[in-house]
Amino acid sequence: MRLCRPPVNTDPPRIGTVLSRTSTVASVLLEAALVVLAAAVFALAANELSPRGLKLARNYFPAGSNQSAPLPKPKPLRPPPAVAATNAAPAADETDQRLKGKGLQPIHRAEAERLFHDPRYPQGLLVFVDARDEDHFHEGHIPGAYELDPYYPEKQLGNVFPPCQAADQVIIYCNGGDCDDADSAAILLRDSGVAANKLFVYGGGYTEWTDNHLPVERGERNSGDITGQSK
Amino acid sequence: MNPPSPWQNRAIDFATLAARWLLGALFIHTGLEKALDPVAFLKLVRQYDLVQTPLLLNSIAAGLPWFEAFCGALLLLGIAVRGTALTLTALLIPFTALVWHRALVLQAAKAIPFCAVKFDCGCGTGEVFICGKLLENFGLILLCLWLLSGRGRGCAIRYTLTSDSSASLRCDTDAS
Repeated sequence: MRLCRPPVNTDPPRIGTVLSRTSTVASVLLEAALVVLAAAVFALAANELSPRGLKLARNYFPAGSNQSAPLPKPKPLRPPPAVAATNAAPAADETDQRLKGKGLQPIHRAEAERLFHDPRYPQGLLVFVDARDEDHFHEGHIPGAYELDPYYPEKQLGNVFPPCQAADQVIIYCNGGDCDDADSAAILLRDSGVAANKLFVYGGGYTEWTDNHLPVERGERNSGDITGQSK
Repeated sequence: MNPPSPWQNRAIDFATLAARWLLGALFIHTGLEKALDPVAFLKLVRQYDLVQTPLLLNSIAAGLPWFEAFCGALLLLGIAVRGTALTLTALLIPFTALVWHRALVLQAAKAIPFCAVKFDCGCGTGEVFICGKLLENFGLILLCLWLLSGRGRGCAIRYTLTSDSSASLRCDTDAS
C-alpha cells in the first residue's frame, strides 16, 4: 500500500491558465487591429504619394449613359463596304452593343482605314486618339494618333482636347476586344466638351489594325518611325 | 508523449523564422508588383464584381497592394508578428474563396476541367492555373496560422506590440 503517492491532477486547467490564454488571444486581436490601422494609413499615404496612384473619388469606368440627353444625329459616315461586315470578328456585334449602351458610336476597321487615308487627316480635321498606356503607345500606335490614357488624363488631356475640339471626327481606340479604355477616353472627351456626334470608337482597336498590317508609328507622336504598309 | 528535445525546439524555431521571412518577402513582392501598376490591378478587381461604388473599388485597388507590402515588411522585420499573421489570414481566406468562385464561373463558361482554368487572379503573379494557385494559397494560410503559434522569435525588432516581448534581435533560435 502506497500511502504517499502524489495525487494525479485530473482537474480542468487552472483559472490562471485560462485567463492567460484569453489574454494572449485578446492581445493578438488587439495587435491585429493596430496592424490593420497602421497598414491602412500607410496604404492610403503611399497611394497619394505614388506618381501612379489612383484618385479614389474618380469613376474610372464611366458607364456612359443611355439615360442622358439623346445624342445629336451623327454626321453620316460612309457605310462600311459589305466585305467588312462579312469579315467582321464575331465579337464585333457585342462590342457595338456595348458602345451603343454607353451612348458611343462604333466604327469598324474598313471605315477607320478609310479615315486614316482621308486627305482631311493630315489637315487635322480627323483625329485619332490612342487610349492605351504610355508604354504601349510608344511600342506602336496608329501614325499621328494622340495619346490619351483615360486613367491618367491630366497628363495629356490639355494636348488632346484642342485638336479634338477642332476636328470634324475623332476616332478613339485601345487594344480592342474586351478592352474598354477607348470607351472611357471617349466619355472623358465628351464630358470635357467635345461634341458627342464627333466621337467614334474603333472597337477592333490596335490589335485588329496591326493584324491587318496597317501602318504603325513607334515612339512619340509624329516620330516618323513608321512601319507597315496599307493594303 | 515526450516533450520535444532542445534540438527539436531549435529546428521548429528556425523553420518558423524561415516561414516568416518567406511570407514577408512574398507579400512585399506581390504587393509592390500590384502597387506599381494600380490600373492593371483596378481592372482585375473590377472583374470580381465585388463592389460597384467607384470610391470602394478604387480604395481596394489603390490600398490593398500597399497594405500587403506593409504587412510583408512587418513580417520580415519581426514587428507585431502574430497580429500581422492574423491580419493576413483574414485577407487570404476570403480572397481564396473569391478566386475559387471566379474559377468556377470561368470553368462553367468555357466548359473545361477545373484545373485547366487559367487566369490572372490579381495575385501579382500574372496568369496562373487555378489548382496551383489554390494550393499555394492554402499553403500561405497554413504558414500564417503557424506563425500565430508564437514560435521563432529570433531576428525580431518587436515581436509583439501589446506586451513585454521576449523577442530578440539576435538571429540564433535561442532567442525564443
